[in-house]
Amino acid sequence: MECIRLAYDVDGENFSSAGNASESVKRTLKQLGVSPASVRRVAIAMYEGEINMVIHAHGGRAEVEIYPDYIDIYLKDHGPGIADIDLAMKAGWSTASENIRSLGFGAGMGLPNMKNYSDEMKVDSTVGVGTTVFLRVRF
Amino acid sequence: MTVSEFAEKSGYAVFTKGEERTIENGYCGDFLSNIISRAPESCCWLTVMNNVNVAAVATLIDCACIVLCEGTEPDEAFFSRAKQLGIWVLGANENVFEASKKVAALCGV
Repeated sequence: MECIRLAYDVDGENFSSAGNASESVKRTLKQLGVSPASVRRVAIAMYEGEINMVIHAHGGRAEVEIYPDYIDIYLKDHGPGIADIDLAMKAGWSTASENIRSLGFGAGMGLPNMKNYSDEMKVDSTVGVGTTVFLRVRF
Repeated sequence: MTVSEFAEKSGYAVFTKGEERTIENGYCGDFLSNIISRAPESCCWLTVMNNVNVAAVATLIDCACIVLCEGTEPDEAFFSRAKQLGIWVLGANENVFEASKKVAALCGV
């Protein structure tokens, strides 16, 4: 099926550009006439993914495929990987540093928010190699 | 009540202006992931958090305005991002509790 493909490099060194990819996807979906509620869910799920890549993995790549009824988002990084995915999915669990917490992140809500705001979510991770998160949000 | 009316009646500082919006709700918090998942649309978001990511989160949740409490002023990066994104950022000297009471009283939310 025809889809719109977008790809973004997420800069791991620059906290101030975190959110640029999700902001761009949000704008595109709005222009395509996707409902505001769906746009919000996509933006939130994707933003959390972007932030995770900046906090934990020195950045990565976000690839997006927009179909008429849903969006697929792939967030790929070459960070340290997640040793225990079930634990990482638990609300409130975080390995973020004090410095990150002082910026307002590290509440342990990133992955739970991504799950709550998507219809499908899959986390593939290998310690020492990296993590890929797949998200599908239906409109 | 619109954000500009609120800014005028509250006497709060106006750091940046955005498009005219109506305040329909309120939310208080500093942990950005909580804000993202729980803050209602078109809310007045009260916080003491001061960094550039606050601006990014404000656009995601589509809030009506941000009120920085306890005399917090946006740093340079936050200020320019908010300006660029067209977000209202106001400043209050009161703490978050006192500022929430003011939002509730003036906006009836």
